[in-house]
Amino acid sequence: MDTNNLVPEGRWVQQHLAMLDPNDEWHPDVSASLRKFRELQGQRSWLNRRWMFAATTAAVACLCLLTLPSPKVLAHRCIECTVAVWHSLAPSTSVQANLKPPAERTLAPDFNLKDANGADFKLSGLKNKVVLVNFWATWCEGCQEEIPWLIEFQKMYGRQGFVVVGISMDDDGWKSVRPWLKEKKVNYPIIIGNRKLADQYKLVGMPLTALVDRQGRIADLRPGLVDRAGVQQKIKTLLEEPMDIAHDASVGVPFIAPQK
Amino acid sequence: MYIVNASTDAVADSAAKEAHFDIEVLFRAHYARVARTIARVVRDHARSEELAVDVFLKLWRNHKAQQENAEAWLYRVAVNAGLDELRRQNRREHYERMLTWIRPRSVAATPEDIHSQSQRQDKVRSVLSAIEPRQAQFLLLRSQDFSYQEVASILELNPASVGTLLSRAQESFRKEYIKRYGHQ
Repeated sequence: MDTNNLVPEGRWVQQHLAMLDPNDEWHPDVSASLRKFRELQGQRSWLNRRWMFAATTAAVACLCLLTLPSPKVLAHRCIECTVAVWHSLAPSTSVQANLKPPAERTLAPDFNLKDANGADFKLSGLKNKVVLVNFWATWCEGCQEEIPWLIEFQKMYGRQGFVVVGISMDDDGWKSVRPWLKEKKVNYPIIIGNRKLADQYKLVGMPLTALVDRQGRIADLRPGLVDRAGVQQKIKTLLEEPMDIAHDASVGVPFIAPQK
Repeated sequence: MYIVNASTDAVADSAAKEAHFDIEVLFRAHYARVARTIARVVRDHARSEELAVDVFLKLWRNHKAQQENAEAWLYRVAVNAGLDELRRQNRREHYERMLTWIRPRSVAATPEDIHSQSQRQDKVRSVLSAIEPRQAQFLLLRSQDFSYQEVASILELNPASVGTLLSRAQESFRKEYIKRYGHQ
C-alpha cells in the first residue's frame, strides 16, 4: 500500500483505523469453524429455499383464514351464488320438465323447526296439502326475485290446500330474517333451516324449491330460480291429484274399518 | 494476495469456476481473513467468528453470488455484517446507559480503562457506526491492506472514482471524530 501520497488528513484517519487491527495473538480457528459450518449447512438445507418458506407461510395463512368463521361463510356464499347463477343460465327446458310419476316419488324429509312466533313447525303437520318448500336467504338475489311469485301462488291456491314454506338459510338466523319479514309482507310461514336439513334436501346453492304432494312425497326438486309458469302448472297438477283419504284426519273422513 | 482480481483471468475462468465451485475450498482459503475483517469492528472475537461462518452460509445459499465474483462478495458481506453488529452493540449500550438511571453501575471505570487501547478502538468504532455505511465500508477495507482496485471490485465501484470517494470518506470520519471527541 502506497502511503506516501496520503494527505495529512488521510494519514490521521489511517492511524486511527489501524488501531482496529486485532492483536496478532488471535488466530481464528478455521477447522472448528468449518465443522460448525457443516453442521449449520445440514440443519438449514431445506429451510434455505425461499420459495419453500414462502409456500409454507402462504399455506399456514390460508389455513388460518379458512378456520375463521367469516371467510368460511364467504366461501360458502360464493359457491352457492355460483351454483345459483349456473342453474339460472341452464336451458329452461329442464326447468319445465314434468313432475315425477307418483310411483317414483320418495317421502320428503320431515323437519320440526320453530317459526317466527317460536311455535313448532312440522312438515308432517301439513297432511293432505301440496307444499312448496323453498330454501332461501336474505342475501340471495335469485331468492328475492321469486319470493313475490310464491306470495302470489299462496294467495291463489291457499284455499285449495296449497302451502308455501320458506326455509331461511341465513347464518345469523332470526337476526337477519326478522327485519326482512317486517319489510316484506310474506303470507306464508318462514322457518330457519339448518345444515342437516339442507343436506337432506341436497342443497348446494340457493334458491332451491321442492314440491311435496298430498302424500308427503317429493314430486319435484329443483335448484335455481324457478320457472314461474312451469311451477304454477305443476302446483295445479299436484292439487288435482287425489287426496290420501286414509291419512286425512283433519277433514274428518271416517276411518274405513276392514270388513268382517 | 490471491483474492479479488476483477480484471484478468477471473472473468475468463468464470465458467470453469461455476462448474467447480467448492465452498469448503473457499472457506479454508478465506475464513481467517473474513473473521479478522469482522473482528476489526466487533469487539468480541467469538462473535466475529460466528458472523464469519454466517457469511459463508449466506454465500452457500446464494447461487447468484457463487457464479459471480464470490471472493469480492464475501468481503463486502463481511464488512456489512461487522458494521451491522457494531450498530446493534451501540444501540444495546445506549439502552443500557439509559438504564443506569434506575440501576447504577456496580464497578466504576478506572483511569487505566479510560486510556486503554480498547477505549480508543471503541471511539473509532462509534465514529464508523455514525458515518454513512458506504463510507465506513470503504475506510475499513482500505485500512485493511486492500488495494484501490480490490476495494473498487468489492464495493462494485468505478476504479476511477475511488480516490475521490476515499478523500470524502476520510473527511467525514475526521469531522465526526472531532465532533465527538475533540482533537485527541
